[in-house]
Amino acid sequence: MSQPSAAPQTFEAEVLPQLDSLYRLALRLTTDPMRAEDLVQDTVLKAFRAWHRFQPGTSVRSWLFTILRNTFINDYRRRQREPIAMDIEAAEPLAAFRPAADEDPEGAYFDQIVDAKVLEAIDALPDDFREVLVLSDVEHMSYAEIAEVLGLPIGTVKSRLFRARRQLQRTLYDYAVEMGYLKPRPAPEARP
Amino acid sequence: MSERMNCREAIELLQDYLKQELTPESADLITAHLQRCRHCFDHAEYERKFLLMLERKAGGQCCPERLRLKILARLRTPDPS
Repeated sequence: MSQPSAAPQTFEAEVLPQLDSLYRLALRLTTDPMRAEDLVQDTVLKAFRAWHRFQPGTSVRSWLFTILRNTFINDYRRRQREPIAMDIEAAEPLAAFRPAADEDPEGAYFDQIVDAKVLEAIDALPDDFREVLVLSDVEHMSYAEIAEVLGLPIGTVKSRLFRARRQLQRTLYDYAVEMGYLKPRPAPEARP
Repeated sequence: MSERMNCREAIELLQDYLKQELTPESADLITAHLQRCRHCFDHAEYERKFLLMLERKAGGQCCPERLRLKILARLRTPDPS
């Protein structure tokens, strides 16, 4: 017996509740609201045409994210946004916790940073970091689901996430210092 | 597996711990470590605040109503492709 395929009438009921998530992911991938809208629309129409291939009982969100990301890579990614020859897997950003710890160990300064600045800092991450961070920490997918959507080993997902979060923490820490939410850490010799 | 975890090991796993991505055994080792290490406890609080902040500040954006309506209209035309 063949696997049952999804009934067409369920398409809207399954897919429309995912539009917010699709739009957020599209915004972070394209970093441009107009292109994000086009990407979401293209994704939904592709999903509609492929709906007979969706396996009921599996995650519709993972399936849609996979279509959105493939569409982005094939039709939307701007080559010039590729990270410049930098081995991102090797880059080890400095942890921001240590410099922030003396003054604000619980990271209360995060609350003072405006939403737009946080989004800007996410958008400034290299593509490979940005997508894992958004899928995990904004859309709350499990590491296993992310590995499946991105076609990566779970260990790679973990290490990219670790580095993406570190880099974002560092950017937000530097911004908080610049804005005066945190005092710059005194040089070691100036400390008592 | 050693029954105690050192700070370096704990800090490397803190984010995965907070995301509930560790095995129960590893999670128990971290919990035990955080109970006796103030520095790592503070670090865990920092990571927890960071993850909460991301969720609050980046998770609230919604699909514009105009786009929702446009997509619905396309889906309901006889040939949406």
